[in-house]
Amino acid sequence: MLSNIKTVGRLWHKVLSRSLQTSSVLQHDSLFVHRDTPEDNPDVSFEFTPENEKRAEAILAIYPEGHKRAAMIPLLDLAQRQHGWLPISAMHKVADILELPRMRVYEVATFYTMFIRRPIGKYHLQVCTTTPCWLRGSDDILNTIKNKLGIEVGGTTPDCMFSLSEVECLGACVNAPMIQINDDYYEDLTCQDTEEILNELKCGNKPRAGPRNGRFAAEPLGEPTSLKSEPPGPGFGIRSDL
Amino acid sequence: MASQAVRGGARQVKPLLSLDNEEARKRALNLYKAWYRQLPYIVRQYDIPKSVEQCRQRLREEFKKHECLTDVRVIDMLIIKGQMELKETVHVWKQKGHIMSYFKPTAEPKPTDFLSKFLQGVN
Amino acid sequence: MLRITAQKSLAGAKVSPKHLFPIFSRSSTDVAKKPEKIEVFIDDKPVLVEPGTTVLQAAALVGVEIPRFCYHERLAVAGNCRMCLVEVEKSPKPVAACAMPVMKGWRIKTDSEMTRKAREGVMEFLLVNHPLDCPICDQGGECDLQDQSMAFGSDRSRFTDIDFSGKRAVEDKDIGPLIKTIMTRCIHCTRCIRFASEVAGIDDLGTTGRGSDMQVGTYVEKFFLSELSGNVIDLCPVGALTSKPYSFTARPWETRKTDSIDVLDAVGSNIVVCTRTGDVLRILPRINEDINEEWLSDKSRFAYDGLKRQRLVTPMLRDACGELKPVDWEAALLGVGKVLKAAGGNITAVAGGLADAEALVALKDLVNKLGSEAVCIENSFPLDGSGTDLRSSYLLNNKIAPAEEADLVLLIGTNPRLEAPLLNSRIRKGYVHNETEIAVIGPKIDLRYDYIHLGEDPSIIRQIENGQHAFVKKLKSAKKPLVILGSDTLSRSDGAAILSSVQSLSRGLQDEMCDPEWKVLNILHKVANQVAALDIGYTPDLSKICESSPKVLYLLGADDCGITRADLPDGCFIVYQGHHGDQGASIADAVLPGIAYTEKQATYVNTEGRAQQTLVAVTPPGLAREDWKIIRALSEIVGAKLPYDSLEEIRYRLEEVAPHLTRYGCAEAANYFCEALELGKKTNAPIDTSPLDVKQKTLEDFYMTDVISRASPTMAKCVAAVQKQNLSKY
Repeated sequence: MLSNIKTVGRLWHKVLSRSLQTSSVLQHDSLFVHRDTPEDNPDVSFEFTPENEKRAEAILAIYPEGHKRAAMIPLLDLAQRQHGWLPISAMHKVADILELPRMRVYEVATFYTMFIRRPIGKYHLQVCTTTPCWLRGSDDILNTIKNKLGIEVGGTTPDCMFSLSEVECLGACVNAPMIQINDDYYEDLTCQDTEEILNELKCGNKPRAGPRNGRFAAEPLGEPTSLKSEPPGPGFGIRSDL
Repeated sequence: MASQAVRGGARQVKPLLSLDNEEARKRALNLYKAWYRQLPYIVRQYDIPKSVEQCRQRLREEFKKHECLTDVRVIDMLIIKGQMELKETVHVWKQKGHIMSYFKPTAEPKPTDFLSKFLQGVN
Repeated sequence: MLRITAQKSLAGAKVSPKHLFPIFSRSSTDVAKKPEKIEVFIDDKPVLVEPGTTVLQAAALVGVEIPRFCYHERLAVAGNCRMCLVEVEKSPKPVAACAMPVMKGWRIKTDSEMTRKAREGVMEFLLVNHPLDCPICDQGGECDLQDQSMAFGSDRSRFTDIDFSGKRAVEDKDIGPLIKTIMTRCIHCTRCIRFASEVAGIDDLGTTGRGSDMQVGTYVEKFFLSELSGNVIDLCPVGALTSKPYSFTARPWETRKTDSIDVLDAVGSNIVVCTRTGDVLRILPRINEDINEEWLSDKSRFAYDGLKRQRLVTPMLRDACGELKPVDWEAALLGVGKVLKAAGGNITAVAGGLADAEALVALKDLVNKLGSEAVCIENSFPLDGSGTDLRSSYLLNNKIAPAEEADLVLLIGTNPRLEAPLLNSRIRKGYVHNETEIAVIGPKIDLRYDYIHLGEDPSIIRQIENGQHAFVKKLKSAKKPLVILGSDTLSRSDGAAILSSVQSLSRGLQDEMCDPEWKVLNILHKVANQVAALDIGYTPDLSKICESSPKVLYLLGADDCGITRADLPDGCFIVYQGHHGDQGASIADAVLPGIAYTEKQATYVNTEGRAQQTLVAVTPPGLAREDWKIIRALSEIVGAKLPYDSLEEIRYRLEEVAPHLTRYGCAEAANYFCEALELGKKTNAPIDTSPLDVKQKTLEDFYMTDVISRASPTMAKCVAAVQKQNLSKY
């Protein structure tokens, strides 16, 4: 009798768990096929600047003969830094440098989300909205930016200064909430801090990166909360009879 | 010996139906008449694309084909077969195709040499 | 980039053994010391295998087939579909059989609980993102996914997404007029990508994006144009890549399959002709390791719709107004017969490349009986020296398959990529896996592999022959050199000189070979039955024939010989016998409709001298008749009756003429290389200075080369696609 009840219970559980399997896939916000646009088409010429040319040579020199294709990611990154984003002609340029079929470059450029294949603002605001940041008020930060700049997630301001995107954990949970602007992390933010940062960027200044609440890095706010006493000497905590 | 053979040849055989030529003639005429009368019904029942007149002509042809026969037993056998055919037709045990096959032209012999086979496209 | 660079191999970098397995297994005989075999157990059955064998291959040895999607014998191992997961004893996780080399004493369980559960799980994940559109999918009935989900999948679904929000959907790509894509069905096995990059050498396909957004495609708007592109249709395990001309035409179980031989190039690929109610619906490759492996060129695969267009279906005679009027066979034969009789032996016959051996021998017999020796082929070929008397001077002597083992290939005046795509795929295979070096004398063409371009000047050949050229050193040091001479070169006015020069240079290399089976000298033909015609005794002196002012010119499928009315004397009667209304029929006074290769049982000999036969797949259209029978019937009308009435009898005649013509499947090797060389030396003609040229240079020239492909709308679309692609910036 008991085992019967058990079986029924298990079955019921099964039924329940089956009904939980519905899924809703969040489609990626960028396309994985190329569409010609006025800004991004193979007629747009892309050449490395003389100094980037030198950098590219230095990058290529790292890799031994026969393995030059390993330089693909650094070169694509170099192209993206030069152009602000990665147009198709830059991919072609990299393919030419590495003597690779263009498709092999497209594959890499589309695989990594940090290669941005459409025009983007000068400052790329990436707001972390993963759980720790979200618990610490990343929604407010996001709303502040949206209101201040008048753009939605994925949008760019008309003057092409700012682009806003929502990203998953950037690994600075201890300084939540945080945003990444281009290469810099701005951490421990409040709505006010966010506005300040945006104002400074608008004026053309570069705001100081790092925590905004007075911390140097990831140490406790104020004074240390643990391990405050002197470290105990040898023999500490050992049985007296030893 | 010779007389034996002559006796053997003239031996009385068992008749099928008719005892002499006259009787056989009567039977043949009877069969012809039976078919003749039945023809309008056959044309209607089987819905064949032939007129009664054409059928009568064909019937006559069929009987004329055996005009030259003199052996009573052969005539009798043909009459029996003719009656069987008639019965099958009247009872609609046959189908349209069977009736139409009376009108089928004589099949041409298949070509045997290469050239005629080639021209007919059968090889 | 696929190619393992010389530096890498010099540095002693380990080459993945499974990658090179097919090639190493071929040449394993000459490895001095064989590595010891190791014993593994597949479902408790012991088997001894070479080290480096994968679990999947070991299982195949004992007859256990492990399900797979991404693995393919002729492509690199990808290991990304996970369908081949099997349990290995003492391994905590199932292993991917296609990528895992076996270790000594492994006990592999291909039907254990864990294996079955792993397969079921993989199958479930694949099906979650696969549309349930089997009823409208062209792959239905020959779909690996369908078959394997029946065999290994779960009997119920846990996918209960009734809102249809979660199924992956991918936009379709336009990759040309041959391949239809429904990318939502793609399961990302990457077989097409690997085929494109390894075999075809066109790196246009790839994966973009990642995770559930990954898609297979070209990223930019670009056609996948290759002479071998159709093979990705066969490779695709699902219905993502299907044939555009065949789409929504038939289910595989409705079609009748007839094994046959392709005649659109000189390779003689083995094919399966799928037919239904007298229509050729599609053509698929048939595996033949000696010729086409399991690939097929696009022309052979898709030109079949040319078989339904421009066909000659009734005999025709030119009437008083100069118009061709349909007549019946009797009238046509009598008309032609009358002229043939009146010609009194002043007859010339020209055979095209698509004519089968039976028709060739019948026509030659007829013409000879009527008192003429003038039977020739369309393509000219040097007659000086040994000419076509010795087979060694017109065969691909080394055969097709060993081409991949060569370490140095010298191509002279030929474009194997377009003239014989499957031979080119062998050379490319050697290039990718075997460090083969290729050199070209002739125009700069795209062969899909790197080569040393020695120049276009034919005098280079003589320089190499005399040892003055720098390239000689490389040739001499090569262990298995291969010289391939194109038929375009031989039809030059100085063809004889070039041939004798190439013969002598090959001889020099041949003498140093340790392997007597390896033949350096190779001639590559362009049309299907050139070798058979030469074997039977057709001569290649077409121009002389025009000069001899024949009264009757009998064209047997000869459309490409370039003869016009103006070349012939007034009152010359032209008979055209063939299956397509093309150039030949347009100038003819009498047209006798023959039949195409899918409609007859006929013998073809490919460029390596291998006799093969086509089988009857469909009935001939209209009044068209088998070619040799037309000639046989005509002979009776003329009064010179040929002594064969049936296929057996004419095959017996073929055997009398040349016994190898009826040894189907066997390639008859040639000999008398030295004698051919000695005879060739007598010519002593100078080589011209005009640069070597090939007729087919770009992919555009590939698609329409003979009467069938010229009549094919699909091939016309391919040409248009290439032209469109040429305008594109990608």
